[in-house]
Amino acid sequence: MLEVQHLHKVYPNGTVALTDVNFTVNDGEFLVIIGLSGSGKSTLLRCINRLIDPTAGKILWDGVDVTTAPAGELRRIRRQIGMVFQQFNLVKRSSVLTNVLAGRLGYANPYLSLLGIWPPAERERAQRALTRVGIADKAASRADALSGGQQQRVGIARALMQEPKLILADEPVASLDPVLAHSILQYLEQLNREEKITVICSLHFLDLVHRYATRVVALKDGQVVFTGLPQEIDRARFKEIYGEEAIEVRAGMAES
Amino acid sequence: MNSPARGAKLPRALRTILIVIGVLVAYVIAYRGSEVDFPRLIGSLGKGGPLMQDFLTPDLVTREIQPVTLQLALPVPCGSAPEGEVPASGPRLVPGVPCAELRDKFTVEGIDLAPNTELQLRWRLPSDQYFPGPFISTDADGHFSAEFEARPIVATKDGVPSKIEVELLVPVGGPKPSAAVFEVLDAIIVTIFMALVSTTAAVVVAVPLSFLAARNITRRGRAGTAIYYITRTTLSVFRSYEPIILATLFAFWVGFGPFAGAIALAIVTVASLGKLYSEAVENIDPGPMEALTATGANRLQVVLYGVVPQIVPDFLSFTIYHWDINVRISTIIGYVGGGGIGYYLAQMINTSQNNKAGTAIWAIVVVVWAMDFLSAEVRKRLA
Amino acid sequence: MLNALASLFLPGLGQFLAGRRTRGLALFGVIAVMLGLIIWAVTPAVGGAEADITFKGNPANWRWLIVPTLLWLWNIWDAASPRPVLIPVIAALIMFYVMGWQATEIDLEALAKNFDRALIILRPMFRPDFLQPKADRLEAWVELEVPCSPTPPAGANTLVGTSLSLSAGCASVGETLTLTAGGLWPDSDAELVWQSPIGDFFALREPGTTQPVITRTDSTGRLATRFVVPKAIPPGIDPNLPQNQRLYVRQSKVTGGYELSTNGFFVLKGIYETIALALMATTLGTLFAIPISFLAARNLMSANALTLGMYVVVRTLLNIVRSIESLIIAIVFVVIVGLGPFAGMLALALHTIAALAKLYSEVIEGIDPGPIEAIRATGATWLQVARYGVVPQIVPPFTAFTIYRWDINVRASTIIGFVGGGGIGFFLVQWINLGDFRAVSASFIAILVVVMAMDVFSARVRERLI
Ligand SMILES: Nc1ncnc2c1ncn2[C@@H]1O[C@H](COP(=O)(O)OP(=O)(O)OP(=O)(O)O)[C@@H](O)[C@H]1O
Ligand SMILES: [Mg+2]
Repeated sequence: MLEVQHLHKVYPNGTVALTDVNFTVNDGEFLVIIGLSGSGKSTLLRCINRLIDPTAGKILWDGVDVTTAPAGELRRIRRQIGMVFQQFNLVKRSSVLTNVLAGRLGYANPYLSLLGIWPPAERERAQRALTRVGIADKAASRADALSGGQQQRVGIARALMQEPKLILADEPVASLDPVLAHSILQYLEQLNREEKITVICSLHFLDLVHRYATRVVALKDGQVVFTGLPQEIDRARFKEIYGEEAIEVRAGMAES
Repeated sequence: MNSPARGAKLPRALRTILIVIGVLVAYVIAYRGSEVDFPRLIGSLGKGGPLMQDFLTPDLVTREIQPVTLQLALPVPCGSAPEGEVPASGPRLVPGVPCAELRDKFTVEGIDLAPNTELQLRWRLPSDQYFPGPFISTDADGHFSAEFEARPIVATKDGVPSKIEVELLVPVGGPKPSAAVFEVLDAIIVTIFMALVSTTAAVVVAVPLSFLAARNITRRGRAGTAIYYITRTTLSVFRSYEPIILATLFAFWVGFGPFAGAIALAIVTVASLGKLYSEAVENIDPGPMEALTATGANRLQVVLYGVVPQIVPDFLSFTIYHWDINVRISTIIGYVGGGGIGYYLAQMINTSQNNKAGTAIWAIVVVVWAMDFLSAEVRKRLA
Repeated sequence: MLNALASLFLPGLGQFLAGRRTRGLALFGVIAVMLGLIIWAVTPAVGGAEADITFKGNPANWRWLIVPTLLWLWNIWDAASPRPVLIPVIAALIMFYVMGWQATEIDLEALAKNFDRALIILRPMFRPDFLQPKADRLEAWVELEVPCSPTPPAGANTLVGTSLSLSAGCASVGETLTLTAGGLWPDSDAELVWQSPIGDFFALREPGTTQPVITRTDSTGRLATRFVVPKAIPPGIDPNLPQNQRLYVRQSKVTGGYELSTNGFFVLKGIYETIALALMATTLGTLFAIPISFLAARNLMSANALTLGMYVVVRTLLNIVRSIESLIIAIVFVVIVGLGPFAGMLALALHTIAALAKLYSEVIEGIDPGPIEAIRATGATWLQVARYGVVPQIVPPFTAFTIYRWDINVRASTIIGFVGGGGIGFFLVQWINLGDFRAVSASFIAILVVVMAMDVFSARVRERLI
C-alpha cells in the first residue's frame, strides 16, 4: 500500500509544483493520474521513488517513509518500484539486452555488475522479460535501432526485471501512436491483473483513462482536484480539470 | 508618441559609434604593437629566397662519392714519349695539341666533369711530384678550358712524360636515400611515439578528471560543487599554456629530450581532453541515468551503465582527434625541449643546414597530413 | 578455407575477399607498420643528431617479431571464421606503447631524482616579479681591470655626491680587495653588484655561501668592505685578456607603495605585443582567407577542368601550409623581416589564412541550396540572391570560425617569440634560459589572464552564433 500524505514540492527556482497532495493507493490498483501539462504529474511520480526530493510531506510505502529513508534503504525501496518513462530513457548505444539487464542492478552483485558480468540466470530472466513484451528477437540490437513502441517495451522489460510490486509509468504512451498506445497499456494492464502489480500511470487521453484505470486522481496546478472512479469523470468534471476551453480528444481506435 | 522609441534609438546610434571608435583605436594600437612594416616585407622578400629554395629542395638522395684522378700524358717535347690517349666518353681531359714543344702555349679542355665546381689542375712530373697549374671552375655542363705552358720542368725524363692531372669527386652507383632521410625518419618516429605516449598517459588521467569536471555528475552538495569548480579551474589554467612553454620548464627539470616534451604535452592534453570529455559527459541524455536510479542501482552502477555507454564513442573520437593535434605540436615541441623532429629541425636551422631542415619540414607535412586524414576517417566511422 | 589460405600469404587478404574490407585493410596495415617498426628499431642510427635514440640498433628488438607473428596467425584464424577483435588490438597496443615508452626515453626516475630542480622553478613562482615596493635608489660604481694589464685604471670613481675607491685598480680572479665608499645614505644597507665585461649584472656573494654581500654604512654614509673578485668572464673568452669590469654599490630606501618592476614592464610590453599581433594576424588572415576560400570550395569550382585544377592546387597549398606549425613559418619570416612582432604576425597570418580558408570553404560547400533557389524564384538578381540567400548562411559560421581562430592565435602568439617572432614568448624564453623564474611566473600569470579571457569571450560569442 502506498500512502501520500500532505506532499509539497517547491523547486529551487520557486516553482510550486505540488501543494498538499493526499491519496492512497491499494495493492492491485491501476491508478491513473490526469491533469494538464504542467500540473505536476511527473513531479508527483518522481517524488514517489524520490528521484525528486519532496519539500514536505510523507510517502509511506508499506508503512516505510520513503521521504526519510537513508540511502541504502532507499535503493531497496526503489528496486521494488519499476518505472516506465515517456522518453523511454534507454541507453541508446547499448544493446537491448544490456538495457534490460540494467533493471536488475539493484539486485546484482555490485562488483561483477561493474565489470559487466551477469550470471546466466539473470540473462535468462532478461530474455524472458523480452519474450514477455514480444521482442525477444531484438535482444542483440542496439537500442536506438528499435522503433518507439519497441523501445517502450524494452522499458517495460527493464521494469519487469526488478520484479516490482509497483510500476510508475509517466506518460508511457505519449510519444507513441494510438495502436501502440493500446498495446503498451495492455501489457501494463496484464501485469496489473495477472501479477497483481500495482500500477500508477499518468495519461493524457480520457478514453485511455476510461478504458484502463480502476481509479483516477486528477491534478490541477499541483493540487488534487478529483479522486474517484473513471466513470465519474463527466463533461463537467472534465472542464473543471482541464479548463473551460478544453475539448475532449480521443486516442481513438481499438476501443472495442 | 514615439519618443520612447527615439529615446532608445539615440543611445543605440551612440553605442554603434562608440563601438566603431573602440575598434578603430584597438586596431591602431595593435598595428603599432605588432610593428607592421609592409615596405620592409616587400623590400626584403628576397632574403627569404635562398632559405625557401633550400627548404623546397630537401636533402633526399645522395650518391656514393669517389675521388677519381683524370690523367693525360703530354710529351714535351713532341716524340719524347708516346702521346696520351683520350677516351671517347665519360669525364675526360682533351688537350688542344697531342704534344708540345718547350715553352709552347696550349689549351686543355675538360668535358663531362661535375658542373659548377672548382677544381685545381696540376702537372704530375716524371719524378712523381706535383707542379700546380691554374684553378678553374666548370660551367653548368661540366666543361672548362684552361691555358697551359710547357715549362722546362715538365719535360719528359728518361722516356717518362709529365701528365696533366685533375682530381674529381665522381658520384658512383645509383642514387640512394641521404643520411638526412634516415635521421629525419628516426626523429619523426620518435615524434609520433611522443604524441602517442603522451596522449595515452593523458587519457588515463583525463577520464576520471572529466567526471569530476562534469556538472551533471559531480555538482551535488557543497563538496561536489567545490570539487567541480576546483577541477574545472585547474583544467582551464593548464589549458592556457602552450605545451612548448611547459616543455622548456620540464627540460630544465628532467633534462633535454623527448621525455620533457612528452610530459608537457601530456599535461596540456589532460587539461584539454578533460574539458572535451567533461562536455561530452554533460551533454548525455539524463533519461537513462534517471531510469537506472529508479531501479535502485547505486551511483557507480548508474555511471557505468547509464553514462559510460553514451560517452565511449565521443571519448574515442576526441582522443584520436587529440592524438592528431599532438603529433602537430610535437613537431615543434622539440624545438626547445629537445627530442623528436622539432629538435632535429632546430639543430639544422641553427647550423644553417637548410636542405636538411627542408627534409624535416617535408616529413612534417607528410606525417601531419596523414594523421589528419587518418583521424578524420576514423572519427567519421565512430560518429 | 580459401580465405584462410589467402590470409596466410597476405595478411588481411582473406578478410578483404570475404567482404570484410575494413578489417582486412586494417590487419594488413597494422602488420606492415609493426614489421616496419621492428626493422627500424634494429637498424643502428645513422649517427649525428639521432645517436641518442638509445634503444635503436639493439638486436634485442628482434623479439618484437613475436607480436606480428601472432597477429599473422590470428589473422589466418580470423579469415577462416571471424573472431572478436579484442586480442589483436591489445597485442598491438602493448607493442606500440612499450616501444613508444622506450623511444620517448621515459625516465620517471629523473622526475623524482631531480626534484630539487623542480623546486628551483617552483619556489620563485610564488613571488612573481611584476611589482616592486617603491623605493629611492642610490647607485655608485667603480671600474677595475681583471686580470691586471700594465696600465690599470685608477680604481676610484667620483659621481654626483658619492665616491668609491678600491685598494687596487686591477686584480686577478679570487683576489681580495677592499672597497671604501663615501657619500652614501647613512646607516643603511648597501648591496655589491658586479657587472661582467658583456654587461650582465650579478650580486656578489660571500665566499663559499649563497648569501649576497650586504654591508651597512655608518652614520656619515661611509662604507668599507672586503670582497673577492669573481670569475665573470663567460666561457669562450680568453681569461688572461685584461677586461674592464665594474663594481656597483646599490642602496634602496622603501618609500611605500608599489611600482612596476623592470621585468614587470617587459611582461606588459610582451603581453601587449602578443595581443596586438594576434589581432592583426587574425584580421589579415581573415581578409585573405575569404576570397581564397571560394577558390577552395568544391561546389563552386567544379564547373570545368580549369577551375577544378585551380581548386586542387589551392587545396593542396592550403593543406601544406596548414600542416606546418606557425612557429616554423616564423623562422622564415624572422630571416626576411628581422626579429620582432612583425615576423610573428606574418607567420600567424599565413597559417591563419590556410586554416581559415579551409574552414570557410567547408562552410561554403555545406550551403543549403534550398533558400537560394527560393530567392531566385522570386525573380531576385544575382546580387540579391547572394545577399539574401548566401550571406545569411555563411556569416555566422564565418564569424564563429574567425573568433575561434583568434583564440588560437592569442595562444600561438604567446610562443611565437621563442623563435624571435615577438610577444611575451620572446622575453619568456630568455627568462627561462637565465633561470629568472620570478619573471617567468609573472609572465605565466599574464598569459593566464589573457588566454582565459579570450577563451571565455570566444566561447560566449560562438555560443550566440551557433
Ligand atoms: N527541474 C525543475 N525545476 C523547476 N521547475 C520545474 C522542474 N521540473 C518541473 N518544473 C515545473 O513544475 C511544474 C510541474 O511540472 P511537471 O513536469 O511535474 O508537470 P507535468 O504534469 O508532468 O507536465 P507534462 O504533462 O507537460 O509532462 C511545472 O510548472 C514545471 O514548469
Ligand atoms: Mg510530465
